[in-house]
Amino acid sequence: MPSGTASSWVPVALSSDLPSGTVMPARIPAGPLALWRSQSGHVAASADRCPHRGMSLSHGFVRGETLSCIYHGWSYGQAGNCLRIPAHPGLTPPEAIRTVTHPVAEADGVIWIAVGEPAGTPPALAGLVPLRSLAAFAGIAAIEAAAGTRANAAGLLEAEDIRLLLSSAREGETLIHVLVEADASPAARIAAARAAEGLRRKAEDFQKKGAAR
Amino acid sequence: MTVGPMLDEWYPVGIFGQLDEAGRKTMLMDEPIVVARDGNGDAKVTDSSGRILPVRVRYGHVWTSLGEPKKELFAIPEADQPGRRFVDVGVVRVRCSPLRAVENFLDIAHFPFVHTDILGAEPHTEVQAYKVEIREDVDEVWATQVQFYQPQAAKSASGGITTQYMYRVAGPTSTVLYKTCPPRPSEWDVITLFVQPLAEDLCDVWPWMALFDDDTPMTDLIHFQQTIFLQDRSILENQVPRLLPLDPGMEMPTRADLTSVAYRRWLKRHNYTYGAQLVAQ
Repeated sequence: MPSGTASSWVPVALSSDLPSGTVMPARIPAGPLALWRSQSGHVAASADRCPHRGMSLSHGFVRGETLSCIYHGWSYGQAGNCLRIPAHPGLTPPEAIRTVTHPVAEADGVIWIAVGEPAGTPPALAGLVPLRSLAAFAGIAAIEAAAGTRANAAGLLEAEDIRLLLSSAREGETLIHVLVEADASPAARIAAARAAEGLRRKAEDFQKKGAAR
Repeated sequence: MTVGPMLDEWYPVGIFGQLDEAGRKTMLMDEPIVVARDGNGDAKVTDSSGRILPVRVRYGHVWTSLGEPKKELFAIPEADQPGRRFVDVGVVRVRCSPLRAVENFLDIAHFPFVHTDILGAEPHTEVQAYKVEIREDVDEVWATQVQFYQPQAAKSASGGITTQYMYRVAGPTSTVLYKTCPPRPSEWDVITLFVQPLAEDLCDVWPWMALFDDDTPMTDLIHFQQTIFLQDRSILENQVPRLLPLDPGMEMPTRADLTSVAYRRWLKRHNYTYGAQLVAQ
């Protein structure tokens, strides 16, 4: 399972949801992240907290190859080191000012975060492509119960009419990525999205009733 | 949880001009209170057991305390100065520590990023050295000789100016700033932030102003200040942790933050810890 405490790759977002020069919030079981893509296209993941005054970095902005905090404009590089403090333009920020970062991999349209030290690369999606993501107020067990089948070790759940990549956000919350065949028709894509929404409703229902503990 | 020495301080609990006999139900440090106007037209504050709390009516607001104040409510001499306009800005509820709301008010380095093109703008981001002291005689934190370039320092300002500031922490959740008065360079405009602690992580913020500005409509003065504070709220509700960390290690200040450093030190010295986090977590 990608949700456990062991080392793994966690699929936190779809590439298409993170254009160049933007930042978005993401979540791994260890806590919230600021996930950002530089102007040149490089993706990086930082703890979602500026060490200066605790402001959430996912509310910040990307310029060039740096992520800046929206509160005082402190900017950080992909390795998490503070590069600039606008209140003191002449100052080289001390090495000690840095955010915690996580290794990122991007493959098949999915952005993966390394939790711990996973061996190798993220699991391949074998001809499948991501369609969209949905946030569910349900744990992975509830989603499995709703689907009537289990996810594999990579977090991939395949049922009759649906293929999902599951990412545990926190206790009782899961990010669901809907996958389709690369050559799926528009009608098949719409059907897959509808099926995923139906499954989410059912899973959230299970979660509420505590039927899937 | 015990409130500690902050219990004996004065706090704003409403605008006097808006009180009626039915009263306003609100909270002060987790305690339900009612703020009303009595038969004589005076302000009256009672707690949930019907106990009558001490009351002052000053600076447009009603002030009270759950404890026994050892000091009179702080003075703002400009409040009695002829020719000023007094602006009851109203209330903004913020899901944050009352101490974080005060600290943000003492900060100028965020102007270009949070109040863009109003109180600051890039590339004018540098914070010049200024003086900070804890004035032992009055037991207040003061920052003086603060200056910053501002595109539109006040509703009455036309074009950018370098604004001079003085900051004053007059109580654990009460702060006053004095800033360049564009139409009257020999005087200071007075802008305050009175913070009502509802809980350790929730507050009602009551800005109040005493300005030399005879031209701007009252509505515009209020809108200007509310715009600024709503921009601040977007920051204050997204800081982690919600409580203000008083021990070093959790957050990293620079020279521009000397006012905040002195404020945190002053809070710690007085054991003013309602809304604070003491141990780095």
